[in-house]
Amino acid sequence: MDWELKRSATRLVGEPRGRVDETTWEAFSQALTDAVREAAAAGGLPLVVDLSGLDYMSSRGLRALTMAKREAGDAVHITLAAPNDRMREILAISRYDKLFKVTDAVEPEA
Amino acid sequence: MRVRFWGTRGSLPVAQKAGAIQAKIARALVAAGGQVFADEAQATAFAKANLDFATFGAYGGATSCVEIEGADDAYIVCDMGSGLREFGIDAFRRCAAGHARVFHIFLSHLHWDHIMGFPFFGPAFDPGATIVFHTGHPDAEQALRRQQEEISFPVPFDWLKAKMSFEVHQVAQPFEVGGVTVTLIQQHHSHESFGYQFVRDGRSVIYSTDSEHKLDNMESEAAFEAFFADADLVICDTMYSLGDTVSLKQDWGHSSNIVAIDLCHAAGAKRLALFHHEPTYADEDIQRMHAESVRYEELVRADRPELEVLCAYDGLEVEI
Repeated sequence: MDWELKRSATRLVGEPRGRVDETTWEAFSQALTDAVREAAAAGGLPLVVDLSGLDYMSSRGLRALTMAKREAGDAVHITLAAPNDRMREILAISRYDKLFKVTDAVEPEA
Repeated sequence: MRVRFWGTRGSLPVAQKAGAIQAKIARALVAAGGQVFADEAQATAFAKANLDFATFGAYGGATSCVEIEGADDAYIVCDMGSGLREFGIDAFRRCAAGHARVFHIFLSHLHWDHIMGFPFFGPAFDPGATIVFHTGHPDAEQALRRQQEEISFPVPFDWLKAKMSFEVHQVAQPFEVGGVTVTLIQQHHSHESFGYQFVRDGRSVIYSTDSEHKLDNMESEAAFEAFFADADLVICDTMYSLGDTVSLKQDWGHSSNIVAIDLCHAAGAKRLALFHHEPTYADEDIQRMHAESVRYEELVRADRPELEVLCAYDGLEVEI
């Protein structure tokens, strides 16, 4: 799993690549938490997790998303963007599509 | 070994109402499309071949009770939910045919849905029967005595005729029962629960119910992966969706289908039985959860061998 974080004046976009499973979830979780803290420190910028480069994510990755959301609290809004078909199915089966806002693409900056 | 499910529902026994049965009949008639069957056998053959489980079958509504056949001269039973009553009736039949009247009962924990079948367990009234309760809880006897106090039940514990004893075991200290090696693991649940590993002749069955795998303690799951390692069958608490376990139903002490699949994948287990079904689920809901679980296993399998995902129902038998 690789992770890249892009920051603009209005948001942060995290880009995980590869897969998040029992061998990579800790790195993913740490990267997410760091991103949330950076977004909060920047005055509460929204964080978009661009899933387009992600093959799939197992339950550990999903639970890392929940931990990041708790870290974010009301200060940072997290959106999941551009899941592939497999990730979209996983989000539906896990019911995580009820817990997070999921968009078809990384929406253009306002 | 052979595993026989006598009760698979979580928390509370449930029974189907007429509306659910009528819907099954209506779906079957529509599927038959006006065909005429000479007799019930022919109609049954058509139904088996053409109807889904939620239409032709039923998951049942008895609470946790699982028999593991394979010990020498003894029954092995996990938990005493309401399914225990029917097991007891069947055990009388088998005992009449010569089976030893020895029962080793393994308790995951002492919550009501896991012990409520005991007051209705016929062999407990048999003076020729021996019942050994295996538990990780020192207060197991207190729990069984309390539910038969007069305020709750008319027959006191001391009136039971079987020879009964309690054995409190420590985690990670294997012991032998009728040629089967048994090991406990501690699980996260209110008042704690314990999972059991049963091994005989190189085959293993795991019974792990009422076990919450906490969001903030994922590191501890390595212990469960080791406990489930190479298991031939893992019977696992899959009561809720993952989304529910991290939101509304966090700290309710239960797990999800997809965490169970991930643990089994990491452990190299061969089969998973979804278990402890949510009592508000209709058969169609459980069937959908099963289909989603099979699909999730496929989506995250990667280069691992396939994990067969079964959905436990009252009456299911699995050869190990």
